[in-house]
Amino acid sequence: MDPDALAKAFVEHYYRTFDTNRAGLGNLYQEGSMLTFEGAKTQGAQAIVAKLTSLPFQQCQHNVTTVDCQPSGPAGGMLVFVSGSLQLLGEQHPLKFSQVYTPTPPLPL
Amino acid sequence: MDPDAVAKAFVEHYYRTFDSNRAGLANLYQDGSMLTFEGAKTQGAQAIAAKLASLPFQQCMHNISTVDCQPSGPAGGMVVFVSGSLQLAGEQHPLKFSQMFHLMPTPQGTFYVLNDIFRLNYA
Repeated sequence: MDPDALAKAFVEHYYRTFDTNRAGLGNLYQEGSMLTFEGAKTQGAQAIVAKLTSLPFQQCQHNVTTVDCQPSGPAGGMLVFVSGSLQLLGEQHPLKFSQVYTPTPPLPL
Repeated sequence: MDPDAVAKAFVEHYYRTFDSNRAGLANLYQDGSMLTFEGAKTQGAQAIAAKLASLPFQQCMHNISTVDCQPSGPAGGMVVFVSGSLQLAGEQHPLKFSQMFHLMPTPQGTFYVLNDIFRLNYA
């Protein structure tokens, strides 16, 4: 699959899951995964999901404006760079955000 | 050296070079390096330096607001995520931007930029 299409599909899946079933994000991380959210660092799928489900808002909607991706080295990983806005329920104005992901092929079993 | 300190030092060096000697940025990239600048893709140190030198502004100043970094992969790489503002000479208001670097270590103990993605954040 074309890398740009893959990145776009990943991003759409990620934010759809975030916005409708936040606990489901756990499937997208592994033990070695790292999240830095507004400067706060967390590691491992469980801790990351706990962090994301503990954020001080219930309903939200991400609107993605740009998705850029590049291959990230010999192991087949990708870098995905997103910008967009986040509308929180009850807030008048959406928040602008940027986010970087490194989707990596799963480890062979 | 502490990774956060390494990332901060690299970022300061990158933007100081950008703002005072843009051609000098070529030393921070190699043949396999990739830049995506506002959606336009370029590869290789020479082409990247040419792209950056051809941007439609002469004098500029980057002001960094945040620097986040994480280790990336078994080869000692780092992902560095920067947000800040860019003041162009003659423009009244600074532009907000975000930029992501994927740094890889060199045998000499420095880092080069393997991946670079830049986006302005419009209001």
